[in-house]
Amino acid sequence: MTRRQIDIIYRTCWTLALLIVAIPFVFPFLWMVSAGFKSTTEIFGTPSLLPRVWRYENFIEVFTYQPFARQYFNSLYIAIAVTVLTLIISSLAGYALARMRFAGAGLLMLFLVSALMVPEEVTIIPNFFLIRSLGLIDTHWPLILLPTFGPHGVMATFLMRQYFLALPRELEDAGRMDGLSRIGIWWRIALPMSRPALAAVAIITFLFSWNLFLEPLIFLSSLEMFTLPLALSNFNDSYGLPLWNLQLAATTLAVLPILIVYLIAQRQITESFALSGVKG
Amino acid sequence: MADVVLKDIRKQFGATEIIRGVDLTVDEGEFAVFVGPSGCGKSTLLRMISGLEDVSSGELHIGGRRMNDVQAAKRGVGMVFQSYALYPHLNVRDNMGFGLKVRKVPVDERDRRVREAAATLKLDALLDRYPRQLSGGQRQRVAIGRAIVGSPDVFLFDEPLSNLDAELRVHMRSEIAALHNRLKTTMIYVTHDQIEAMTLADKIVVLRDGLVEQIGSPRDLYEKPNNVFVAQFIGSPRMNLLPAAEAKLISPTHALPASAVSVGVRPEHLRVVEPTTDSLSATVTLNEYTGAVTLMHVELPGGQTCLVVDDKRDMPPIGTRIGLTADKDNLHFFDADGRAVS
Ligand SMILES: Nc1ncnc2c1ncn2[C@@H]1O[C@H](COP(=O)(O)OP(=O)(O)OP(=O)(O)O)[C@@H](O)[C@H]1O
Ligand SMILES: [Mg+2]
Repeated sequence: MTRRQIDIIYRTCWTLALLIVAIPFVFPFLWMVSAGFKSTTEIFGTPSLLPRVWRYENFIEVFTYQPFARQYFNSLYIAIAVTVLTLIISSLAGYALARMRFAGAGLLMLFLVSALMVPEEVTIIPNFFLIRSLGLIDTHWPLILLPTFGPHGVMATFLMRQYFLALPRELEDAGRMDGLSRIGIWWRIALPMSRPALAAVAIITFLFSWNLFLEPLIFLSSLEMFTLPLALSNFNDSYGLPLWNLQLAATTLAVLPILIVYLIAQRQITESFALSGVKG
Repeated sequence: MADVVLKDIRKQFGATEIIRGVDLTVDEGEFAVFVGPSGCGKSTLLRMISGLEDVSSGELHIGGRRMNDVQAAKRGVGMVFQSYALYPHLNVRDNMGFGLKVRKVPVDERDRRVREAAATLKLDALLDRYPRQLSGGQRQRVAIGRAIVGSPDVFLFDEPLSNLDAELRVHMRSEIAALHNRLKTTMIYVTHDQIEAMTLADKIVVLRDGLVEQIGSPRDLYEKPNNVFVAQFIGSPRMNLLPAAEAKLISPTHALPASAVSVGVRPEHLRVVEPTTDSLSATVTLNEYTGAVTLMHVELPGGQTCLVVDDKRDMPPIGTRIGLTADKDNLHFFDADGRAVS
């Protein structure tokens, strides 16, 4: 055998092995998409990967069963708002914690990081009372404010701080010689140099908001205000049993934006998870 | 153009005093070099002049104006950093024009000044490149260009050549000297390379532990060092320091000053002769041939080692007993505190 042939065989074996390993991950996804096109009876009938009858109308029913378009939009705009706010706040606070010497900076950092160790479920009840006393129940405010200023925001701030710490100080000195103020250095030197960290924060924040379930469940009550994760759990028949085909069709639609973003920014995302040390 | 005057400048970081009272005048158009061992406070002093670091006490005047509380960007100084500190996200043109942009200089004026500076530094062809696409020497030139564009009254350089390889360092050194000749702007230059200091400076300031040891022209420092520290710091290889009694042997005609306890003689001033009673006798322990000169290490009867530099090809082989002499003008005497006496 020539060197080339060995190479080809070697690579084929590897590809096969990886394909086999990928099956447990890909199969549920394909099953979800396919079930979205089936009828409920077919879902519980003889299992088949492809639907025998393609029910495209499932995808229309998803929108008529409840205000799904509206709910989709809710999720989208909330996730964008949370992402933008978190980027602004975490980069400002992270910069201050990394570069400004002020009394109690170390203590403040400790205080913030310790907030990361409190599980969300512990704070949800006090948060509920707080939000209720502000009259914000069944509005989107808690879904925007809690992720931004809660543990997730702290984590984003911490991430930005670590990144800013690693930026060379002489660059900022050069900025000062060029006449920049503190805020100017942040905006025109620190931020442009921190694109990888900003991308990481943007991606994990968007996903975090997009997947949020507990908070919407607690704070929202009307269908028009629902976000996607809540809406997805709401495709039930009159007995409260899940309408599997609608639910899975809706889920397919819900993962679409994430899939698209992932395909576009695949490398960026892998890097950002590596950078943030966070699982997807 | 402006002069720089420091009066009893001090700097504390917390409880430790890093700069402990520096008085210094750099005249208009002068090229001053700060030298000193690592950690002696050269960078700190320079950063205080630039405005990047506050002055704890004392007076700082640039061009007759008190600058203690003036912002860095408004002091009329341009700084070149050791790491170049080019903005990685901007190309050469924008790096050089950044300061003018921040100061809201109109676009065409900015463009003109960037092009002028680029022409001076032969950067014309590189204006659209990013820092990562430049070699070390080119980055260094951009960093200098960025300082020039602001037409400062005073240029400050903090070890600008220390990241370059030896050959490029020599080349850039001559470019900086040429730049000073052309611009005639006051320049203050920090280095711990004393060859750089000697070749570039009109005035050298030797610092140690936050204090000035001596200020003078390169020649002053080489020929008339004030103390042992300066004597050994300036000149390479460093000056040999021997017990004063040995002076009689090195240069028999010399009268020994009363308070002298040690005598310094530079390796390049020692001559090898036949061992006689009126020369300093020594044994060769090592010869280092470098091409132009040979460094000969010798051991004195008292056990001290001593270095001789000679441009002869054939030095006496290891183990040979030789004699050493020097002209009396080349001997430096120091008292018990290390101060020069004559
Ligand atoms: N921001 C700071 N806080 C505390 N100490 C500092 C600070 N900056 C410098 N120092 C101390 O001041 C002393 C002088 O530092 P400086 O950087 O001026 O030395 P240098 O002469 O430039 O040395 P080198 O040749 O290594 O660059 C050092 O002991 C350093 O540790
Ligand atoms: Mg330094």
